[in-house]
Amino acid sequence: MRPIAIEAIGVSKSYATREALRKVDLIAHGGEVHGLLGPNGAGKTTLLRVLLGLVGKDAGSVRVFGRDVEAGGALPDGVAGLVDTPAFYPYMSARRNLALLVRLDGKKRTPRGMLDFALERTGLAEHSDVKVAGYSAGMRQRLGLAAALLRSPQLLLLDEPTSSLDPAGARGVCTLVRQLALEGASVLLSSHDMAEIEELCSTLTIIDHGRVVFTGTVDELRSRATANPHVLQTSDDMAARALASRSPGVHVSPADDGGLHVSGTLAAFDTYVVALGRAGIAIRELQRRPRSLESLFFDLTATADLHTREATDHTERPQKPGWELAS
Amino acid sequence: MRFKGIAAVAGAECSKLSAQIKTRVTLAACVVGPFAFAAAMRVQNSLPEDTLFGRSVKESGFALPLVVLGFAALWVLPALTSIVGGDMFSAEDRYGTWKTLLTRSCGRSEVFAGKVAAALGFSLLALGVLAVSSIAAGLLVIGSGPLVGLSGAQLLPSDALMRVTFAWLSVLPPMFAMTAIAILVSVATRNSAAGIGLPVVAALTMQLYALIDGPEIVRQLLITYGFGAWHGLLTQPPYHRPLVYGTVISGIYVVMCLALAFRILQRRDIAA
Repeated sequence: MRPIAIEAIGVSKSYATREALRKVDLIAHGGEVHGLLGPNGAGKTTLLRVLLGLVGKDAGSVRVFGRDVEAGGALPDGVAGLVDTPAFYPYMSARRNLALLVRLDGKKRTPRGMLDFALERTGLAEHSDVKVAGYSAGMRQRLGLAAALLRSPQLLLLDEPTSSLDPAGARGVCTLVRQLALEGASVLLSSHDMAEIEELCSTLTIIDHGRVVFTGTVDELRSRATANPHVLQTSDDMAARALASRSPGVHVSPADDGGLHVSGTLAAFDTYVVALGRAGIAIRELQRRPRSLESLFFDLTATADLHTREATDHTERPQKPGWELAS
Repeated sequence: MRFKGIAAVAGAECSKLSAQIKTRVTLAACVVGPFAFAAAMRVQNSLPEDTLFGRSVKESGFALPLVVLGFAALWVLPALTSIVGGDMFSAEDRYGTWKTLLTRSCGRSEVFAGKVAAALGFSLLALGVLAVSSIAAGLLVIGSGPLVGLSGAQLLPSDALMRVTFAWLSVLPPMFAMTAIAILVSVATRNSAAGIGLPVVAALTMQLYALIDGPEIVRQLLITYGFGAWHGLLTQPPYHRPLVYGTVISGIYVVMCLALAFRILQRRDIAA
């Protein structure tokens, strides 16, 4: 059994009148890349700040590698994190900034090879003696990663690490995350880029409005979908969409690569196909496709939105979510 | 809180300070200023007679550092200490580097203690540089003639040197108190302009209060009381009571301001 790297139980946090986190549970195991997914303002960054001890929690407990994490305490060795866009001292070079951070890690002298390795691994070796004031946002992001690597992380918490990077830089970060995981490190990767999460993460937690709406593996998430969508090619897509609007239980939308996405219950789908034939609309191709994480995510957060609204409007009425809520 | 962590933070802060132009300019001004003043005194005919020891500034090189000290205590020393102390914490807000600093192996209390140590260390360094430069400027530009003390007795050069040195050392506690105020403002406002400016304004206000006819007890509770306590060292016999009193008052300011600043920092959410 892999060790538990992060164990956050019932974490709540409020800022003034806004509840940023509501009884959030998150468990990430050693050696896995765990995705933290959610729309903007869902509470991802607040959760990372709580995990890093930057922000105090109102309730709950946080343990990293079995050690309690409290706001204001020192970060345990082997844990590193990036929150928001990394910031450094602009009047110093990248190398000098990193040397300073190594000093704060309790190492009196900075092995030159260690800095060079981190700078090379993040593609900053050529610019290491340039003052950070002249760095672009993407370069700062990479310098943040270099600073994290200097802690030889066994647990790395990354907050949208590719947000300021060009496609090549983003690809480099993804490769780095994979390498770290292969080397046995755990990575908690916060993002709202579903493709990135799908590509890198074995497990994920989705939060919305400060609440966990799903936690598990990507496959588990897919298996919880109400129905996998079909891709339909017809002789008259316009007429097929018009017919769908009169067919209860099915949802039809244009597919990116042509044709139509059809989703709904199996019974409604059967009724719709029969209706197409009766309406004289020929079916040229019909494929069943696994749902993308993105569409599942939208379903999930839309469901959570709905429940949040319902809970606000009718607090006395018991809720019956379409998705199983994890907390 | 570990000593190793505090030392690491203090070392990192010193590294940052050494990379900043303002630190070098400030220390350079501390070196050059007294020599420029001594040169000006030597060439001009008039003397700053309304200043303590101003009449003797051309007669004894030991008078010059005391004139500089009297002038510096008004606003130069508060400004010197605020330049670093008032920016020590708020600079992290300005650069957005709190999250960088606090996601290493040092806890918040160690970061606080290390930064305070660096700020107090800089105050000590700036005062030391200004004192040495003032004494050197007096001796090299004016000469080492005997100094006439405040009670009229002539002080031999060795005695005068010792008293002048102690006079400079005596302003260290109130200077630390000003540093603590600057740190408190820096932590509470997260604004470097306020951190640097407000302590200077506070010092000037206290100096102004010393000039008006208010209750003596209030005057004695002000930090600026300690800035003038060195006068007793230049009398015959020396009068130490204001010095002890000023040191105790400064100590109280240091403890209260730093305790409050620590509490504010410890409870703060680093959310931006």
